[in-house]
Amino acid sequence: MFHEKLTFARNKLVGVEYPRENLFIAHGVLDDDIYSMELDVEVEAPHFEIVRINGVMKRITTPECWKAIPKLQNAVGLSLADEDFTSKVNRRVGREGCRHFATLLLECCDTILRAATLREAETGGDLEDEELHRRQAEKMTLLHKDCLAYSTPK
Amino acid sequence: MVLFYSRNKHASVTDREDGSLLVKAQVEETCFAAQVEMIVSLPDLEITSVKAKVSRMMCEQCAEALPLVNKVAGLKVGPGIIKIINGLVGGSKGCPRLAELLLECCDQPILRFTVGPIAEVLAMPTEEEQMEGHREFLRRNPRLADNCVAFAEGSLIREGVEL
Repeated sequence: MFHEKLTFARNKLVGVEYPRENLFIAHGVLDDDIYSMELDVEVEAPHFEIVRINGVMKRITTPECWKAIPKLQNAVGLSLADEDFTSKVNRRVGREGCRHFATLLLECCDTILRAATLREAETGGDLEDEELHRRQAEKMTLLHKDCLAYSTPK
Repeated sequence: MVLFYSRNKHASVTDREDGSLLVKAQVEETCFAAQVEMIVSLPDLEITSVKAKVSRMMCEQCAEALPLVNKVAGLKVGPGIIKIINGLVGGSKGCPRLAELLLECCDQPILRFTVGPIAEVLAMPTEEEQMEGHREFLRRNPRLADNCVAFAEGSLIREGVEL
């Protein structure tokens, strides 16, 4: 009975709002068998800089984990376009604070970059496909999110 | 205001009857959807098989990256796996999204085997016993030292723990 039950599950959910030109607000939730936490992150374009961040821990494992909450402020001022953005977050928010907060922050920021790409596509409606693809490719390369699709001429 | 973009990522582990683990990760977001499934053998944590599917993509070239996931079979989950998978599947000749899902899968076996020891500590009846339980957990897993604020120098958990 129940021999097919999950022995671990992790859910990450991120929603991004675009309340005004050049401002992206992400709300992220990480919930798994061990941890549960939430983040609110605000990022301003065109430099994709983190301007505000707040987080709460809903389920943690040690009485020391809460000390990671103030360390979230180490992310303010970081730009998603920095080549070493991921390692900076892993060090300043993760290693100095909480690895799971860092994981969730990276998820929020990556989702914001996807939202920005979509925004670019929607505002470029009057462009030819080729020109739009070129512009998106330029932006993704700038954001160090290069991939097969963006490095291939359309 | 309505939501502009959403991402929902789910990863899970199931213990198989032959002693291996079935690990799945899937993402459903506004402009992309994909699933990765792998079997991980124990105790060596070798990825013995992997398959992936991209159901919705940003542009049609994305599908060309799909065969790259086969390169991951035979790798062992452990130190260096991030760089290896990003090199084999991500980057400008691949798909960083698929690489992320594969890495999501690689995290799950570790977390799956962390649940039991953590649950044991948290089931201890007093705060003092739990604290000692965390210290013992750190002694058994010294790689966790300085991994986060809870196991950093100066934390209560580090008191009396010689590594």
